[in-house]
Amino acid sequence: MNDSMSIPHLIMSASTVVQLVMLLLTVGSIASWIVIFQRTFVMRRAKRAHLAFEERFWSGVDLNELYRETPSEQETNGAEHVFRAGFREFNRLLPKTRSPQAILDGVQRSMRVAWSREEERLNLHLVFLATVASASPYIGLFGTVWGIMGSFQSLSMAQQATLATVAPWIAEALIATAMGLFAAIPAVIFYNRLSSESGKLLGKYEDFAEEFHSILHRNLQGRGDSDAG
Amino acid sequence: MARHDSRVGYGLPTLLAVGLHVLVVVMSVITLPSREPEATSSSVVQATLVSTETTTDQALRAEEARARAAQRQADEEAAAAEADAAAAAERQQAEAEAAQRQAEQQAEREAQQQAREQERREAEAEAQRRAEEAERQAQLRQEQEASAEAERQRQEQQRREAEQQREAEAAERQRQEEEARRQAEQEAEAERQRQAEQEAERQRQAEQEAEAERQRQAEEEARRQAEQEAEAERQRQAEEEARRQAEQEAERQRQEAARAAAEAASDIDSLIAGEQESIANARQAEQAANSFQNLVRNAVEQAWIIPAGSASGLEATLQLDLLPTGELIGARIVSSSGDGAFDRSVIQAVERASPFREMRQLPPAAQSQFRQFNLRFRPGDVR
Repeated sequence: MNDSMSIPHLIMSASTVVQLVMLLLTVGSIASWIVIFQRTFVMRRAKRAHLAFEERFWSGVDLNELYRETPSEQETNGAEHVFRAGFREFNRLLPKTRSPQAILDGVQRSMRVAWSREEERLNLHLVFLATVASASPYIGLFGTVWGIMGSFQSLSMAQQATLATVAPWIAEALIATAMGLFAAIPAVIFYNRLSSESGKLLGKYEDFAEEFHSILHRNLQGRGDSDAG
Repeated sequence: MARHDSRVGYGLPTLLAVGLHVLVVVMSVITLPSREPEATSSSVVQATLVSTETTTDQALRAEEARARAAQRQADEEAAAAEADAAAAAERQQAEAEAAQRQAEQQAEREAQQQAREQERREAEAEAQRRAEEAERQAQLRQEQEASAEAERQRQEQQRREAEQQREAEAAERQRQEEEARRQAEQEAEAERQRQAEQEAERQRQAEQEAEAERQRQAEEEARRQAEQEAEAERQRQAEEEARRQAEQEAERQRQEAARAAAEAASDIDSLIAGEQESIANARQAEQAANSFQNLVRNAVEQAWIIPAGSASGLEATLQLDLLPTGELIGARIVSSSGDGAFDRSVIQAVERASPFREMRQLPPAAQSQFRQFNLRFRPGDVR
């Protein structure tokens, strides 16, 4: 009894459909965990990078120097990316137009683009996590329902219906639900956690963009005044 | 800044995720088989074997035996009031005649009482005979299996000690009768001789057993006769009863004496050790039989569908006849529950549960023991 009720034995003796469902759920669970680990590392790194960049930015270093520090071809992340996009646009527009408003508009637009790229980068694959979280219980349930259907079909052929004839079938069918929940629960938890973290980071980037914008605005105001005077 | 820009790859997360799943699978594989299944002790029905001795109802049997002894003593005392010494020479012949005559007469007249008494006596005799047989069988096997199990021996020792105590009490009661004691002493001496030569002992024991059975039968008949016929007959029966009692007591005392002697002398000690071993072996055979009983009982319980609406206090006893292969030849109701549907369900359960293939694994002696046995059915509290 013990041997026939062990989980590996139950999985091996399940019907093909239930086995496919189990396989799908296993793959989904593994993939969701890959995403969880990867996203966690990305978030942690982005947070650390943001702190380091803010510290440098507000340390009073010259913005031109800060801009030149990193080679332009290397891709930058987070607030640094926003800063570089804005500052590059500012430097390009400055010789071409005299209108401060036009310069500020251009800077803001390019910063918004950089910000939305950051958003996309941070939220990458989170949708997959949400899909696993919401769909895998249903997939597991499907496997269970299918398995129980099979158990009742076999029951109709048995002369004497005892609990012992039905029990292995139902246990085997319920494994599918268990696996669905096993995949879904971490996915739900980490989806919420990761998306709130990415939302927080994006908010910080936005704040930084506004602050940088105001700095540029202040500079242009000063220049406009000197031009006018 | 540059160090932050390196992208996070998928290699490490994949490794971690797969590792996590492997860990979960390994844990489920390792821990689950080692978990003990819960003992399914709450059986719905209790079907107990009533014909053969089991380890569990030994205490019950001891009580029964004690009750029987008390009854016998009361009988004997009543008889002793009237009893005088009857002629010993005539006794055997008269008994033989009386046995035949009375067996026919009594069967018709006191059907109920006789049946009850006969059954009890038969059960007793059968148990004794079976124990004897098992002991002999065990002794044969003893030569093959040199190693006796110490644990079982110790249990046996304990049980014997308890028995001994009980016997000692009984002996105390009986010792008041002088005649009995005198005979006891004679028998004790005979026993001492007998223990000196073991081979002779076996044969004589068998003879004694046969004689005892013959005497018991005769005595039984005589007692029945005594209730109807002349007082002289009753006196003789009482005398017979007394003699038998005395003999039993003598045997007990003899054993006691033997044990005392064993403590004193080492050579007798070794003899007793051999006897203990043989009893331990007999017990081993008995346990094998018990396991078969349990198998049969479980199988029948599984197959038993109690008819809906049957009263809860019903009880039916069934006699099974089996082939040595374990196949069922026949099953019949020995004592009906009074409910026809219930009786039928019981027979169906046994038919459904047969054949009992485990019979083949039993030693031949135990097989012959299980060729015919009784099962008692009564539904448990749970439906």
